[in-house]
Amino acid sequence: MRTKIETKKYVFAFIITVMVFFGALLISNFFSGKRIAEVKNIEDKIALDILSSETQFALLKESSCKSIDHSTAFSEELSTLASRLTYMEEKLGNNNAEVLGLKKYYSLLQIKDFLLVEQVKQKCGVKPITIIYFYSNNGDCEECQRAGYVLTKLREEFPELRVYSFDYNLDLSAVATMKSIQGVKNKLPALVIWDEPYYGFKSSEEIEKIIPQLKVIRAKREKAEVAEKAASSTKK
Amino acid sequence: METFFDSILYVFLFLTLYLEVFFLITFFEERLKLSTKSTTGKLSYYPSATIIVPCWNEEKTVSKTIDSLLSLHYPKERFQIFVVDDGSTDNTWKVVQKYASNPNVKLFQKENGGKHTAVNIGIKNSISELIGCLDADSFVDKDALHEIASAFNEDPQMMAAIPTIIIDEPKTILQKMQKTEYHTVAFFKRMLSPLDAITVTPGPFSFFRKEVFEKIGLFKKAHNTEDMEMALRMQSNNMRIRNVHTARVHTEGPATLYKLYRQRLRWAYGGMKNTLDYRFMIFRRKYGMLGMITLPLAFFGIFIFLYNFTFVIFHIARMVAIKAVEIGTIGFTFAFPQVDSFFINTEFMSILSYIFLGLGMVIIWNGVKLAEGRFRPSMGIFYFITLYGIVAPIWLTRAVFNLAFSRNTNWR
Repeated sequence: MRTKIETKKYVFAFIITVMVFFGALLISNFFSGKRIAEVKNIEDKIALDILSSETQFALLKESSCKSIDHSTAFSEELSTLASRLTYMEEKLGNNNAEVLGLKKYYSLLQIKDFLLVEQVKQKCGVKPITIIYFYSNNGDCEECQRAGYVLTKLREEFPELRVYSFDYNLDLSAVATMKSIQGVKNKLPALVIWDEPYYGFKSSEEIEKIIPQLKVIRAKREKAEVAEKAASSTKK
Repeated sequence: METFFDSILYVFLFLTLYLEVFFLITFFEERLKLSTKSTTGKLSYYPSATIIVPCWNEEKTVSKTIDSLLSLHYPKERFQIFVVDDGSTDNTWKVVQKYASNPNVKLFQKENGGKHTAVNIGIKNSISELIGCLDADSFVDKDALHEIASAFNEDPQMMAAIPTIIIDEPKTILQKMQKTEYHTVAFFKRMLSPLDAITVTPGPFSFFRKEVFEKIGLFKKAHNTEDMEMALRMQSNNMRIRNVHTARVHTEGPATLYKLYRQRLRWAYGGMKNTLDYRFMIFRRKYGMLGMITLPLAFFGIFIFLYNFTFVIFHIARMVAIKAVEIGTIGFTFAFPQVDSFFINTEFMSILSYIFLGLGMVIIWNGVKLAEGRFRPSMGIFYFITLYGIVAPIWLTRAVFNLAFSRNTNWR
């Protein structure tokens, strides 16, 4: 009397389920692949930017410091890349080989950018504000997450500020050299500002105290905004 | 450790997906029989029918219930209404006296003994071919009995028919949520029907051939879910139960969370207890889809649901904790979320969620069509998707707790 189990139908449903399940996996992998390619693209673009700036700099030598537009000489995309890399690290895990590769490349680009900034600083007398930040996401640095939030916020507020962040545990000789040159000990989070290392969590107020220029920049910006408002209201 | 819990979740998600696919295949097979139009015209034969209305303190709604039965499109001489007052302490008995002279209505009064005793009195006094029941908080469509009789005529093997239940005029958010839930249930019930896998003959307007009670006995207390026990007893005796989706009954959904909690706790606990009582059918191929899928699901499904819920809660809690650290560090900064395709979540789990949501919408869409005749978007769908997963664990957790510590649930 009872409807018999149709094995065919059960098997058919199983095959479809497997297809959908693994289809979802494939789609997910496809998008991960696309993201990695996108990050890789940005990295290549930055490499090109840096190379171009270096070349331009070498060609013009010291005499023509003025002809270098300091606001565009350095790649602005380093910070957009940072948020993308953090996101990928969260989603794919910090042990993912491709993420690690991208991170190493990113670290190298940062060092190159840092060197270029140093060169401009020495030759042209400008003083870009830089912070070198060492962190760890192996679970041994409780304050690193908070330090990251503070630096992100500062970077958003002050585009003039260049933050170079390095994973302390990244297996890359250039990063190791950077650590030793800056004399950074394994006490994380660590910040290097004006060649001086600072250890432990620093709030944005504390960082602003160390870099008083930030306050000056803010004051200037606010003044400019007020002036702009006044100008637009008189126009009306 | 997290990988271990993730793996369990993947297994559960695979099983859930399998079931959804299975039901959608069944839907595809059944689609030609899913006309929502009623069978019009005269029946070749009108089987005699008795409708039992058990009531306990239903003075407010019982008249509406009886009136809806009296206006059924069915020959008056072929059906009777038995109103059984199960020792009400309010004015129910007084209220129903106005029907005392109606030749279609018979009134019974007894000492309080529980719903199953009230229904059983009706069954014992009935000589009709079909015996049905209607809770005193439900109302029927005019052609509901006609539809059911027509289905009994068509299928002599069918021993019980269950209708489509619709939540009547939902007012509160919870009632609107239940309306969509009932639409979804309507879909599953209709799909389980041809697979002989229905596990409940619900109180509102389920009909039985009289011989069912002669062969397997009357209703039992059955952990206050006598309608589930009756269905399982019928299934264990290979008696056919079918869903007649064109027979529509309207019922009132509990308006408050507490009332809903009481009702669902009784259902969830009773469901698990009855499944345990009929565990000899679980994973037995001879009981077909019922033994292999619906019964195991009635029991283990609750645990799977709670596991998934705990998983989601764990991740939400972690997200909130991270956000709290961020706000604690740099203060609250409001920024419009940037539209950047890079940050659209395409993790495996998220893609699976999108698939589940999509399949869920297909099921809801067809459930609404089946129950109401055509699809209409409503806030209920939104409430069901967003709220059900949050409120259901309240009674499911309690039901599991009661099962573990053997605590009985009450009717109210």
